Amino acid sequence: MFASIDDVVTRFAAHGYIANRRLATVVYLATGLRKPVLVEGPAGVGKTELAKVLAQALELPLIRLQCYEGLDEGKALYEWEYAKQLLYTQILKDKIGDVLRDTRTLAGAVERIAREDAVFFSERFILPRPLLKAISSEHPTVLLVDEIDKADQEFEAFLLEVLSDFQVTVPELGTLKAKHVPFVVLTSNNARELSDALKRRCLHLYVDYPDKQQELAIIGAKAPEARRELAEEVVNVVQSLRKLDLKKTPGISETLDWIKALTLLNIESLDHEMVNETFDAIVKYEGDVRKAQEELKEYLRRARVRRADGSDRDLLN
Amino acid sequence: MRAGMDEKLIEFAALLRDNGIRVSLAETLDAVDACRRVGLADRAAVYAALRCTMVKRAADGEAFDRLFALFFSGLGEVIKQASQAVQRELALSEREFQELIDQLAQLLAAHEGELSPLARELLAADSARLERRIRDAAREIRRLFPAPAGGQYRLRLKLAELIGLRRLERELGEIRQLVEESGYDPLARARMGQYVERRFNALETILQRYAGGETGQDARREREAREQQTLREKNLYYMSEQELDRIKGAVAHLAQRLKSAASVRRRITSRGRFDAKKTLRRSLRWGGVPFVLRFDKRKKDKPQIVVLCDVSDSVRNVARFMLQLMYSLQDLYWRVRSFIFVAELGEVTSHFRENDVGGALELALNGAVINVYAHSNFGRAFRIFAEDYAGAVNKKTTVLVLGDGRNNYNLPGDQFLGAIRRRAKQVLWLNPEGRATWGFGDSEMARYALQCDVVEECRNLNQLYRVVDRLLAR
Repeated sequence: MFASIDDVVTRFAAHGYIANRRLATVVYLATGLRKPVLVEGPAGVGKTELAKVLAQALELPLIRLQCYEGLDEGKALYEWEYAKQLLYTQILKDKIGDVLRDTRTLAGAVERIAREDAVFFSERFILPRPLLKAISSEHPTVLLVDEIDKADQEFEAFLLEVLSDFQVTVPELGTLKAKHVPFVVLTSNNARELSDALKRRCLHLYVDYPDKQQELAIIGAKAPEARRELAEEVVNVVQSLRKLDLKKTPGISETLDWIKALTLLNIESLDHEMVNETFDAIVKYEGDVRKAQEELKEYLRRARVRRADGSDRDLLN
Repeated sequence: MRAGMDEKLIEFAALLRDNGIRVSLAETLDAVDACRRVGLADRAAVYAALRCTMVKRAADGEAFDRLFALFFSGLGEVIKQASQAVQRELALSEREFQELIDQLAQLLAAHEGELSPLARELLAADSARLERRIRDAAREIRRLFPAPAGGQYRLRLKLAELIGLRRLERELGEIRQLVEESGYDPLARARMGQYVERRFNALETILQRYAGGETGQDARREREAREQQTLREKNLYYMSEQELDRIKGAVAHLAQRLKSAASVRRRITSRGRFDAKKTLRRSLRWGGVPFVLRFDKRKKDKPQIVVLCDVSDSVRNVARFMLQLMYSLQDLYWRVRSFIFVAELGEVTSHFRENDVGGALELALNGAVINVYAHSNFGRAFRIFAEDYAGAVNKKTTVLVLGDGRNNYNLPGDQFLGAIRRRAKQVLWLNPEGRATWGFGDSEMARYALQCDVVEECRNLNQLYRVVDRLLAR
């Protein structure tokens, strides 16, 4: 657990996550109040990473549930392992024969088997999926429900039920109650509006693109091999790219990919003919690439003018 | 102090609600919990705590920021500073200062009933109550005098009057006497005397600063918030063009919600496409015998919307608003067909698609599509629609009629509306006239209402909010 908001900031930083105070406050409150956090924001700003780092900082196992359209309880909660049950039945045929030896009628045999059926619906044959894993875990865990907006509305309602009581009912076994309430992080890209009921249960955190200083700090933490000057150039360009009307705006992960690629290729400055080849790391669509190249050219022109004569700003225009 | 904080947060929640941010009781309780945990000293932390517990939609963030700045504004800070200033002037340490306050409180406790609440709050340094008192007074003044009259000097006098400064002035003498007659040593008595004096002066400073520049601006912001609120209650008939412009954002927001109302997914069981994968998976339970077939249930109801909007002169202003709503709807969802009518009916879907909202409204209202200066004739419009555009409506279509139903004594033609309804999924009618007037004069609303699934009065923005909420709840 965290002692204070600053504690969150330091411990997250120790695991390479640069948290601003607002984010840290929400994390501090979520762990303190034991409430789920709903993290919203554009793609690639570190929503999923937040849950991972939270698990690392608290030294707890992370259980991840990736949502997608059509995800149902069977894949999220538990399933019976039919194959294993069948296999056991086959192997235990002799034993079953033993059990049934002294029964005379069919009804008697059924009765006898019925007495044993708890064997086949025991926890041995249950296949826990992420939600059940988180609930039945012996230790506290961090449960990441990723991209909840991709799941169907029915699943959302079901999740709501689980999140409010932290217990599930398996008809054959009875009700399983969580020994430890997991720390829950839900992420959403806002592909569809989530239900008010779910939002009410959660603390809400909107994560936006970082500002320049923050992004530099993130590069420093995540790609320490990158040169400082290059990092600054990259951040400048990326920040201006985000202002453009792109089909897919580059997130932090793209910035990191790009700077890693540049560093790997030993490119020291963006004023290099190879840079154009690395654009795939940062923009993903053909149209976007063209726009980004324009923007870079413009940036380099300004940079050159600035370098040539810092005081003579008239040249700029 | 604690209780003061709770009250303040409850008040804040009410303010948020007044401004269209939905905050439930549970969320308010969460906010209280969260504030206890982060403490009140760190403003940024309080902001983060309240924001994450009370605001659940990114779209509401901006309004929240504004209201937060307004509500947790300088006043508390000003009072705190004033208190610190008194402490500095008396050259006392934190502990001594607190002792002094406690001693005085004991002394005054004996005369509880005789002192005004203001005096007690002021001398006990109960800044939360004091802040509330001043705020309440300021609100009362704004209620009584909506237009800022007479500048800050008069505002200060009024504030002083309302919070009971005059009575306090009279009480000062008594308090001094109480202090003199108390059993404390002369040094303590002198200090208390000074303290009372300074406190009184500090209150005047507080009022002055609140009335004037520094905190005056958030009084202005508060007024703006109230205006926005009243705008939502204001009848659409009487809105100026600028006002209509200002509610544009709200309309777009509503359209978004209306869209999801029309697209509630319908779950269809044991129909749809056969899902071999799921069936096989399911059959494992019975050793591969497919006892239960599985179907692809992910059948989304893709709604189509047809909007018919009355743009006649009688509803000119409302029409602008309705067209805005129509434009936002079409903008959001491309399976929308938009029609306007007065006596004739014309389609404006393509105009709306190609122009921005201002241009589109201009086109709709300048008579380029239909003659807008005629007398409205709903019956005729419905007939044209039923005859010429029947293909636009099918079982998935929601037909939305925006109009007052005043037919100028023409043939009502409700049978055509009935014919449209039989083809459509549902017919919704939003009427900008009060329900009480429906059916009187040339209003054929009573007749039309029979042919609609939902008829709602929609005179102002708040009602429209409610209509959309109700549609969503269905």
